[in-house]
Amino acid sequence: MRMTLESEYSPDADRIMAVSLGPQHPGAGHFRIRLWLDGDYVVKALPDAGYVHRGEEKMGEYRNYTQNVPHLERPVILDSSNILFAYSLGVDELMNSKVPPRAQYLRVIMSEINRIISHMYFIAIQGLFLGHTTMITWCMGDRDFWIDLGERIAGARVTFAYIIPGGVRNDIPEFAIEKGLKTCDWFEKRMGEYEKIFYDNPMVHQRSDGVGVLSRDDAIAFGATGTVARASGLALDVRKDEPYSSYSDFEFKTPVLTQGDSWARAYVALLDMRESIKIIRQALKGLPQGPVRLKLGPQPRVPAGEVYSRTEAARGEMSYHIVSDGSPRPYRLKIGVPSAKNLRALPHLLKNVHIADIPVIYWSLNYWPVEADR
Amino acid sequence: MVVAQQQKAGTFQVLVGKIDDVLQYAIGDPLRYLANWGRLYSLWPVHLETACCSVEVGAAAGSRFDIERFGTLEAFGSLRACDLIIVMGTVTRKLAPRLKLIYDQMAEPKWVIAMGACSITGGLYFDSYNVLRGIDDIIPVDVYVPGCPPRAEALIQGIVLLQEKIRRMPTLSGR
Repeated sequence: MRMTLESEYSPDADRIMAVSLGPQHPGAGHFRIRLWLDGDYVVKALPDAGYVHRGEEKMGEYRNYTQNVPHLERPVILDSSNILFAYSLGVDELMNSKVPPRAQYLRVIMSEINRIISHMYFIAIQGLFLGHTTMITWCMGDRDFWIDLGERIAGARVTFAYIIPGGVRNDIPEFAIEKGLKTCDWFEKRMGEYEKIFYDNPMVHQRSDGVGVLSRDDAIAFGATGTVARASGLALDVRKDEPYSSYSDFEFKTPVLTQGDSWARAYVALLDMRESIKIIRQALKGLPQGPVRLKLGPQPRVPAGEVYSRTEAARGEMSYHIVSDGSPRPYRLKIGVPSAKNLRALPHLLKNVHIADIPVIYWSLNYWPVEADR
Repeated sequence: MVVAQQQKAGTFQVLVGKIDDVLQYAIGDPLRYLANWGRLYSLWPVHLETACCSVEVGAAAGSRFDIERFGTLEAFGSLRACDLIIVMGTVTRKLAPRLKLIYDQMAEPKWVIAMGACSITGGLYFDSYNVLRGIDDIIPVDVYVPGCPPRAEALIQGIVLLQEKIRRMPTLSGR
C-alpha cells in the first residue's frame, strides 16, 4: 500500500519511497508503521495505532464495579493482574475499605507472577526478532510453568480475574505455595542459562548493541516509563516511589541500566524478573492468616468522589482515574497505560536505522498494541 | 426399429456413465485424496493478530503445545503462500476492511478459523461502539473455536476439525 509523499521531502522525492509495515506483517502485529525509506534507511516513521480500540473506557461506564473486572483485564492479557490491581486499589480507596493483609499479600504474589509471564513473552519475541530461535522456544515453554502456577491459584489460564475490589477472588491452595517456592528455585537457575545463551551471545550483542538508543534526557522528554525508562538510567518504579498495598514489607531493588539501547531494554526485563522472584519468595513464606476478601455484594455502592490510583505493571506505570457520582456504575473511567506512553519515543528511535532493525527497536519498547489502544 | 436404437443409445449412455463412475473412483478419488492429504498437513496461517487471543496462539506455537506436530506451520511468510487465517479475537471497525482485503488477496483454496468469543459474536465487547459482532458478516468461517481466550488445546482441536473438513472436501478446486 503506497502513500502520498509529504511536501517536506519533495527535493528528494524520487529517492524516497513510502511503505506501510503492518497490520499484516510478522514484525508488527495489530499495529502499523508508516515508513519513508531512502534505500535501506528510514527517513521518517509514523506509528498508526488504533487497530484494537475496543472502547474499554466507554464500556466501563455502563457496567457496575464488579462487572468491570473481566473486560478490564483483556487489554493487558499478558499482564492481567496488574491492570486489575490498579483498578481495585482505586475502588478500595473510593469505598474506604480496608483490605485484609492476607489478600494484600496474595495480590502482590499474583501481580509479580504476572510480571514474569509478561516479561517472558517480551524476551521470547525479542529473541524471535533477532533471529534467535532458541530463546522463543525456551521462553514460551518456561512461561507455561508460571501460567500453570497462576492457574493453580486463580483457576483460569491467562485471564486470571484474581484481584478484585475488596481483596482477591479466592484463597491460595496449600499445594500452590509449595509449587510456587519450587518454581522460584528452578527459575532462578534457568535465568542463568538465559544469560549465557541470549544476553552474552555475540550475535545478539551485534544486532542490538547501540540500536535504538534512547538517552536519559529523551526518556524524560518522551515520558517513558517501566523497562524503557529503567534501561535509559531513570530509576522509575511506583513500587518504590509510592509503595502501594504491602510492597513496603518486601526487600527488593529497582534495576537500572544506563546504555538505553535495545539490549539494555531486554536485559532490564531479566533483572526485573530476578527481583520479582525475591518478592514472591518473601510473600509466600510470610503469608499472614485471615480472610481474603471483603463482602461487598454483587452491586457495591461506591460513594461519590474522584480517585487516581497507580501501580507498576510489567511495562511501566498503570494508572486509573475513576470518577464516581454515587451510582453503582463509574461516571468516568480513564485508563492510563504504559504502552501508550512508551510509543511516543518510537518515531524518534526509528530515524536513520536499517529496515532490519525496525522490529528489534519496535519490540524492545515492550509495546503491546491491545493495551495501548484500550 | 426406433425403439431398439433408443435402447441401444440408452445402454451406451449407461455404459459411459458406468465408465465415468469407474474412472472417478479409480483416478479422481485417489487424486482428490492425494491433493487433500497434501493440503491438510501443510496449513500455513497468515500472521494477522487482531486482538488478545494472539497470546494463546503464541503459546500454542511454543514448545509446550507445538501446533507444528499437527501440520500447521508458524505464522510467518507471504500472504500469497498462506491458506489459513486464524482470526485471533476482536475485529474492530478499523481492522475489518483490512481483514476482508487480506482474505481476498489469498489464493484458493483458503480456510478461516474464528478464534475466541469476540470473533464469533463480539464476546465481551458485544456492546462496544467500535467492535464487529462476529467476523462471519464479512468473510466465511470454517471452524469456530469458542473461549475467552480459548486454551491452546482448544485451538489444536479446532485445527484438527479443520483437517477433518479438508479431508472430506469433495472437489479439487476447494470450495
